[in-house]
Amino acid sequence: MTPFMLRRIRNRLSKKLKSINKMSDKQNAQKSAKIAAGAVVCVESEIRGEVTIGARTVVHPKARIIAEAGPIVIGEGNLIEEQALIINSYPENIAPDSEGVEPKTMTIGINNVFEVGCMSQALKIGDNNVIESKADLGRNMILTSGCIIGACCQVNTCEVIPENTVIFGSGCQRRVQTERPQPQTLQLDFLMKILPNYHHMKKTVKTTSAVTPAKN
Amino acid sequence: MASLLQPDRVLYLVHGEKKIRSSLSTLYFCRYCSELRSLECVSHEVDSHYCPSCLENMPSAEAKLKKNRCANCFDCPCCMHTLSTRATNIPAPLPDDPSKTAMKKAYYLACGFCRWTSRDVGMADKSVASGGWQEPDNPHTQRINKLIEYYQQLAQREKLERDRKKLARRRPYMPLAFSQHTIHVVEKYGLGTRLQRQRPGAPITSLAGLSLKEGEDQKEINIEPAQALDEVEPLPEDYYTRPINLPEVTSLRQRLLQPDFQPAGASQLHPKHKHLLIKRSLRCRKCEHNLSKPEFNPTSIKFKIQLVAVSYIPEVRIMSIPNLRFQKECQVLLTLTNPVESITHVTLVGCEEGDPEDINSTAKVMVPTKELVLAGKDAAADYDELAEPQDFQDDPDVVAFRKSNKIGFFIKVVPQREEDGDVTVSFKIRHDFRNLAAPIRPSEEDDAPTEAIWLTHHVELSLGPLVA
Repeated sequence: MTPFMLRRIRNRLSKKLKSINKMSDKQNAQKSAKIAAGAVVCVESEIRGEVTIGARTVVHPKARIIAEAGPIVIGEGNLIEEQALIINSYPENIAPDSEGVEPKTMTIGINNVFEVGCMSQALKIGDNNVIESKADLGRNMILTSGCIIGACCQVNTCEVIPENTVIFGSGCQRRVQTERPQPQTLQLDFLMKILPNYHHMKKTVKTTSAVTPAKN
Repeated sequence: MASLLQPDRVLYLVHGEKKIRSSLSTLYFCRYCSELRSLECVSHEVDSHYCPSCLENMPSAEAKLKKNRCANCFDCPCCMHTLSTRATNIPAPLPDDPSKTAMKKAYYLACGFCRWTSRDVGMADKSVASGGWQEPDNPHTQRINKLIEYYQQLAQREKLERDRKKLARRRPYMPLAFSQHTIHVVEKYGLGTRLQRQRPGAPITSLAGLSLKEGEDQKEINIEPAQALDEVEPLPEDYYTRPINLPEVTSLRQRLLQPDFQPAGASQLHPKHKHLLIKRSLRCRKCEHNLSKPEFNPTSIKFKIQLVAVSYIPEVRIMSIPNLRFQKECQVLLTLTNPVESITHVTLVGCEEGDPEDINSTAKVMVPTKELVLAGKDAAADYDELAEPQDFQDDPDVVAFRKSNKIGFFIKVVPQREEDGDVTVSFKIRHDFRNLAAPIRPSEEDDAPTEAIWLTHHVELSLGPLVA
């Protein structure tokens, strides 16, 4: 490669970058996910948009975290398993490019478990919740702490789920349990040791200021 | 199309006390009577009891003693699934040295489906994995037992009196005769005699010894009559104003599964032992032979005797249906499968006018008149490459294809009614059946080892709606 050709390639690349930057003026500057040190995020997972992932969180391959309509902030100690989908999407009746739509941040607390194949659009999830396989959470739900959304339960109401509630069964029956589910520390430690043996990890960002999810 | 293979598409008629039409997969074939039998014309008998989760066998007497419940397994009172035992480590002081603490295992029950745990109702963790869990006692047990004893004695006394009356009237050549009515009286309060079918005239031995006991059992059991109270407990003052805590209210199903207590609050729902299931055997009512007898071992799904209809009667299945139009002739492709290993000859006959069995058909059908020959089922046919294909002269208008023991043939259907609903077609199948169960009589003539008898079955097909 002659230096002349190298210069031409560099010029073309810089022009493309500038045009992309101009298009994304409306959006924020953060394009890649901010992954805290200590988190284990596999390369095969799909993370799009502004996503902040806390320490000791494990994201399995084929998990998808998509921040379309706003940023997603994920706390510490979470376990996001395969084919789980955490998506901050536009509500159905609003077109993506319309003006006046403020991006809302989706916050997820600590020690949550998103089991295989679940989908969560809930804007606020507290601590120690378990969303079991193939569960479906709507956008207007707010989970407090200790809630368990059972397998295949679709919950799409506009409400705050009280603490320690279990939603189970085909009719989404509810009951309250007396103690919250235990944090999966053993499982998290095991995965943090084993996953790097078999997968490549996404690069973590050394954050000097700790990223804490906004608690309202 | 998988919907054409649905079991209720092809129905066979069973001649019994009631005319029952059901698919061949649910029917049995009594090869001693040479007739089809359905579940409603056989007698069901309990073979053995077993627990569905731990698969433990239990003799009937023990099952009755434990009220048909397993001793080890529990049901979640909230969602009725099986509870599993989980262990946690708890620091507990050693018995010798109170200052040191060692990790001891504590066990609790937990449901994997609704996440109920035994700690939710306040049951303490046990130190043994199984056998430590007790169901709470019913406070009325004593009264109930006393009432049961009293009524059992009353039933016995009534039965003896009736027997004495009957004996006095009857002729002396029937010493042990008794009416069928007395058998019902015995069963009225559950004396616990083994259920025996009423065979007219045959003595039941268990009741014969009762006349001997009459002299011994003179104990009178007295019960206090139930007392009616005038005053009832008043309702609590805040009954109407207290807000309802919905998760705490039990559902009707949860309440009625514990008939002893019927708790209204979820914090009083205790787990119950798991109900046992039974294995049943079926018996033909006419010839008293067993049609279906499962194996005794709960882990085995095989049968000692399995006389199902699918393994004796050729099965008709719908393969493809064209668009059915009112009063237009359509060709429907059906398949016939031969379940036995010998060659079977099948003749199809349409139903005549005014056939009493033909009540459901809404279309005229023209079946092939020639006899169809089905090859025997050869289990090794897949592996035997040198086998010569048998040469059957098939009329291509009638037989569409032939594949080992299966044959595809056409029937012509002319729908007669224009209303909504399925087009139903019925015809009769006549096939030869070789009874391998019949005893081989030493015959001096050179007869065929087994003679074939001809059986006729009435078949109804549901072909789907008309296309406009």
